[in-house]
Amino acid sequence: MSSIGYFFKESLQGFARNLSTALGSIITIFLSLLIIGVFLVAGSMLENLMSSVESEVSITAYVSDEAPDSDIDRVMNEIRDMPDVASVGFTTKDQALENFSSSMTSNPEIIEQLDGTNPLPASIDIELTDPQSVESVAKAIETNATYGQICEDPNDVADSIKYGQGTVERLFQITNYVRYIGGALIILLIFIALVFINNTIRLAILARRKEIAIMRLVGASNGFIRGPFLMEGALHALIGSLLAVGIIQLLRMFALPQLENAIRFLDFSVPDLVYIGIYVILVVAGLVIGLVGSAIAMRRYLKV
Amino acid sequence: MAQIRGRGQRSRVGAHGPGHAQIDPMQSKAQLTSQLSQALPVLDVNETHQQLGAPVITFEHVTKVYPAQPNKPALSDVSLQIYAGEFLFLVGHSGSGKSTFIKLLTREIKPSQGHIYVADEDLSSMRNWRVPYLRRNIGCVFQDFKLLPNKTVFENVAFALEVIGKSKHVVRTQVPEVLRLVGLQEKVNKKPDQLSGGEQQRVSIARAIVNRPPLLICDEPTGNLDPQTSRGIMDLLERINRTGTTVLVATHDREMVDNMRRRVIALDRGHLTRDQDRGVYGFDV
Repeated sequence: MSSIGYFFKESLQGFARNLSTALGSIITIFLSLLIIGVFLVAGSMLENLMSSVESEVSITAYVSDEAPDSDIDRVMNEIRDMPDVASVGFTTKDQALENFSSSMTSNPEIIEQLDGTNPLPASIDIELTDPQSVESVAKAIETNATYGQICEDPNDVADSIKYGQGTVERLFQITNYVRYIGGALIILLIFIALVFINNTIRLAILARRKEIAIMRLVGASNGFIRGPFLMEGALHALIGSLLAVGIIQLLRMFALPQLENAIRFLDFSVPDLVYIGIYVILVVAGLVIGLVGSAIAMRRYLKV
Repeated sequence: MAQIRGRGQRSRVGAHGPGHAQIDPMQSKAQLTSQLSQALPVLDVNETHQQLGAPVITFEHVTKVYPAQPNKPALSDVSLQIYAGEFLFLVGHSGSGKSTFIKLLTREIKPSQGHIYVADEDLSSMRNWRVPYLRRNIGCVFQDFKLLPNKTVFENVAFALEVIGKSKHVVRTQVPEVLRLVGLQEKVNKKPDQLSGGEQQRVSIARAIVNRPPLLICDEPTGNLDPQTSRGIMDLLERINRTGTTVLVATHDREMVDNMRRRVIALDRGHLTRDQDRGVYGFDV
């Protein structure tokens, strides 16, 4: 236990001795972890965004104007019995027009041009429990015999059923790209941080090689000789990672509200627990980088 | 490994006997009232070692070939035995294998062939993690002192104890004692660059023996010093030897070897050419 104190003292001295390289490795770790952290936060924001978009995925099945109410009721009941269907609603022609005109308040002339007629069809609106099954539910409605009779265009049933086909897939694709790029970047940054820590510890070892020679001479155990260097690497990494965590927290407190104000239609909120998890990941990753980096340096430059 | 120190019958001899009076002035400086000195027996100067019991160091047909010179072994088929409490000189020209001999003993290098036993432990099969514990039983002194320039005399000696995990209490009691033994009690707070060469070598010896190792190896301990200072250092080494510590001195110093008449091991181009009790330096210049 007393040697822990000794390691700490020695690593602090090593810190003071090579201030510039120590700062170099701290800043490298700090920036690397900051970027990694920002990526993680952005990633979880995107994930949240995705799920909110996904939850808005619904199916709209248009119904012809002549369809009898009894058939519509039957189809609605049958859809309600399908798997993965959360709720089924009905939008009448009047409601459809109302929705349309309320979304078109910026160009009211379009509504005026309608001249009192209502070209919009009534529709059955289906909400899903699992957005991934949107396609299968759509197919099921398409093959429904009753719906085939009451749909807008009996010759092309599929055309009467609308859902956000492409949107979801494209979103999935984008998030996948983001994941790959982020992963590659994280690996690169970790590598750079490792190289820097390795270099700093190498310099620390060189600065103390006389002492190390004497320690070996008088029979200091290998662990005792290595301890201060491991501690020094871990200390740099810890300071760097805490700085990164601090900056991310500051960004979250001051920059994020601004962003939310600027882009109101997107939801950037991420649960506190996710933030805490990311902070823990950053500190642990920093410590691992510091320990591994100095261990590599010791393997190569400290033959004990 | 624990029992390299002098055997019982040696330490019983004349703890405060008449040998006292004829010992050089350094001894009186060392304030024999100190704990350490009381613990250490004082032997008659003229008494030589007796080769009794099992040897503490055994070289068995040891050959060391460096990869850089595959046809010219640094040591070639060297066999010898060293007993506890001996004082011996290792002599030979530069490149004769003296340094290789010492490096083999501290297991900085392993023999290419043959076996080296230190206190019944085979160094060639010793696990790496055990090496530090071997070195705790071997004090080393070098020509260039190897002191840390930014530490004081006290700190330099204390460092050797601190890094093997000795408590503060041990450091506080043992370091002043050993500095008194080497006659540096006045200089504890000086830095090495404020000391003369002889004084620096005394600090280095103090550091080597502060942990009370049973074996003390000196590689050219007087190589940088003038003859008078060298004499003082050799007296100190003899005094340490009289406490039961086995002392091995590699040297070029013909005069000293001839004067002291101790066991001499001579190496020539890697071969053991002479192993002689009460020997002389013997090489033609």
